[in-house]
Amino acid sequence: MKSALRTENLYKQFWRVEALRGLNLAVPEGSIYALVGPNGAGKTTAIKILMNILRATNGRAEVLETESTQLNQKQFTSIGYVSENQDLPDWMRVDSFFAFLRPFYPSWDLSLENELVRQFDLPLKRKLRNLSRGMRMKAALASALAYHPKLIVLDEPFTGLDPLVRDELIQGLLDRAEESTILVSSHDLAEIESFASHIGYLEEGRLRFSEELTTLLDRFREVELTFDSPPPLPSNAPDTWMQLSTAAAVVRFIESRFDPERTIAQVKSVLGEARNVTFSPMSLRSIFLVMAKASRDGM
Amino acid sequence: MRQVIHIFLKDLRHYWRESAVSAGLLVAFAWNEMRGWAHDDELAVGLGGFFNFGFLSGLIVALVPLAWSFLAVRAIQGESLVGNRQFWVTRPYEWKKLLTAKVLFVLVFVNLPLLITQVFLLARAGFSPTQHAVGLLWMQMTMFLFFILPIAALATVTGTVVQMILALLIVVLYAVGMGFLSEHIPSSGFSGPVDSVTAGLLICGCVFVILIQYARRETTKARLTLVGLAGTLLLILVFAPYRTFVDHEFPPINSGQTASLQISLLPPDKAFRETAAPEEDNEVQVRMPIRVSGMASGSVVIASGVLIRIESNGILWDSGWKSPGLFVFPEQGQSQIDFALKKKTFERFQSSTVKIRVSLALSVFQERNTREFVTPDGSFLLSEVGHCFAEGGYFGRIHCLAALRGPSFLLLKADMTKNTCPLTKGESPRTPGEIAWGWVQNGGSEPAEFGITSVKTVNLYLSSTNIYPRDWGLGICPGTELTVSTPQMLRREQIEVQFEGVHLPEYRQGEAKVRATSVVLRSR
Repeated sequence: MKSALRTENLYKQFWRVEALRGLNLAVPEGSIYALVGPNGAGKTTAIKILMNILRATNGRAEVLETESTQLNQKQFTSIGYVSENQDLPDWMRVDSFFAFLRPFYPSWDLSLENELVRQFDLPLKRKLRNLSRGMRMKAALASALAYHPKLIVLDEPFTGLDPLVRDELIQGLLDRAEESTILVSSHDLAEIESFASHIGYLEEGRLRFSEELTTLLDRFREVELTFDSPPPLPSNAPDTWMQLSTAAAVVRFIESRFDPERTIAQVKSVLGEARNVTFSPMSLRSIFLVMAKASRDGM
Repeated sequence: MRQVIHIFLKDLRHYWRESAVSAGLLVAFAWNEMRGWAHDDELAVGLGGFFNFGFLSGLIVALVPLAWSFLAVRAIQGESLVGNRQFWVTRPYEWKKLLTAKVLFVLVFVNLPLLITQVFLLARAGFSPTQHAVGLLWMQMTMFLFFILPIAALATVTGTVVQMILALLIVVLYAVGMGFLSEHIPSSGFSGPVDSVTAGLLICGCVFVILIQYARRETTKARLTLVGLAGTLLLILVFAPYRTFVDHEFPPINSGQTASLQISLLPPDKAFRETAAPEEDNEVQVRMPIRVSGMASGSVVIASGVLIRIESNGILWDSGWKSPGLFVFPEQGQSQIDFALKKKTFERFQSSTVKIRVSLALSVFQERNTREFVTPDGSFLLSEVGHCFAEGGYFGRIHCLAALRGPSFLLLKADMTKNTCPLTKGESPRTPGEIAWGWVQNGGSEPAEFGITSVKTVNLYLSSTNIYPRDWGLGICPGTELTVSTPQMLRREQIEVQFEGVHLPEYRQGEAKVRATSVVLRSR
């Protein structure tokens, strides 16, 4: 599948701090790709390099088949970028902001603009500086959707927003998802889970994994085994077992490469025959926490 | 072009208040200038001494460039080039069009109002603006290159007005430091090609910074460029071979050549010796009266530079080239060379006689287009300058308005026995043969001077240079006969004379008198 966004061995260093350490990322065309990771993982840096806001120290990035450093007027007519900490022209009213942007985009759709204004309930006559955080984000998103961009890049769009606004933003995005590739970085895993098709987990400047969300949710299981008597903690547990713990005759762990037959066989070989085995699906948030904890513990 | 106009109109909507203030100040400036034509000296305007004409005038002159700077900075920082949070960097802006829009904004709201004001002032002063079109464009260009461009370069590397003010403070401190340093670098007044190199570097550096910021937004590189530029200018100031420049510009005359003038040392000036130097002065002022002879009739010599070297008992002191700006005329007969030594240096020379070598860098002029002229009553046209009128009284003068620039060199000569100005009470009549001179020299051949106003004020005074010391401020009144000429430069040369066996303390200014403060109590 073609990639709308791609990075190869991307490095970024701010003085002595390495923000990105060889990031290899590929966002499939047409996907809704969620880039997740703890604070300081390098998500915003990666996105800013992709948008040609920052220059990479090393490596390369490609956006819509163009080197990110070569992104120019033409490419930006097909890209919608919204960031939580973007400086908007606060002195403009919402309607004049849209009016100012319109001539920049040959594909600006006035009826879509009106639709977005209605959908987001935007106060057209109010100045951007007087909008609430949620309203500002909605105005920014509307201004980035009204020209049918091929690529929508959202950097932490849901941070600090109330659930209602988040829902409105997500709905606004999903309504236009078919015609675009969407890259969204976020901490809000519960929201991401509801609409992302792909997910990448970035940590310490490296991509730990990147896959379809359904695949990720399928391969993570919380495993609970009940034995007749308390088994000793095995020293030869597979690498895919995480947070292995025992409580009396019950052993629990997280399987990160779940396959019913293979996992049962591994349990039998490492711990012996269990009286009862349960495999519970995990939420994205739980998986994220497991991954973060495992990383912190040096696993 | 559509994008350029679109951004320009957005800036127009956003910065109309700043533009209006700037235009208002320019109107005030024009009004103030016109008042100044009639009120060259301070004139109270009714709000007490503080808000006199001079103060208001200075305030307006300072506020106009400040308003322009603010306007340009606001417009440039409207699409800030510093940081990575600006919304516009991920919008379909084309940097060349953005830059063009900003240049257009500055041209429309700084240069155009300035041009209109200059045309208006010229017309009001009685000059034809169309005849001075080249000069007007020259003023616009110099204003853009030497004022707007540096301001714009700073605006591109600062994100906010506050940052810009801090940057300007640093620039001011740097300029003050450079000025202080240049005072302590011998001969640095003779910059020769340094000024051109400095101006070229400044313009190129600013253009580079602006381009790199708009094209790539590489703020660190742009800021380092400005720091590097400042460092380069500092190095040029410190290490420029000034003496070589002087020798190149004023070639020493060969043994076979005749100098434009000869000088010899005269006895010390008693009046000067009796003048007490300021107590806190760390320097000793020395005055060497000189006899001047051998000048060709109709010539004028300007001592553009003087270099003093004093030798005694193996000790050598060198003043470095200084610019005394000394004018010498054939009828003058005598003049003086002043210089200062540190007290400690002077003390090393005061016990014995010294040898003084004086080098003079001379600009030799010959009077041209000489004509007789009787100062009319009321307004008149002095073709070499512009529209003038004679102010009467003992300190009478000719007050002129000139278009775009003062004259390159204008010389006035008057026989003071024929002066029509009234004598003041107790003043004795002028003695026959007493010649007074007046001159205005702006140098250069540029079509206009750098500045805001298109109408320059030129005041012509006379000084009786063959009276020693000079008697400044001799009047020119209606009816005063003058000889007017526009001297042309013939050559530049350097002469050196040597005075042996000079007892330096005889030529120094009187020593500081110790001021005793006492309180007398009287009882009845």
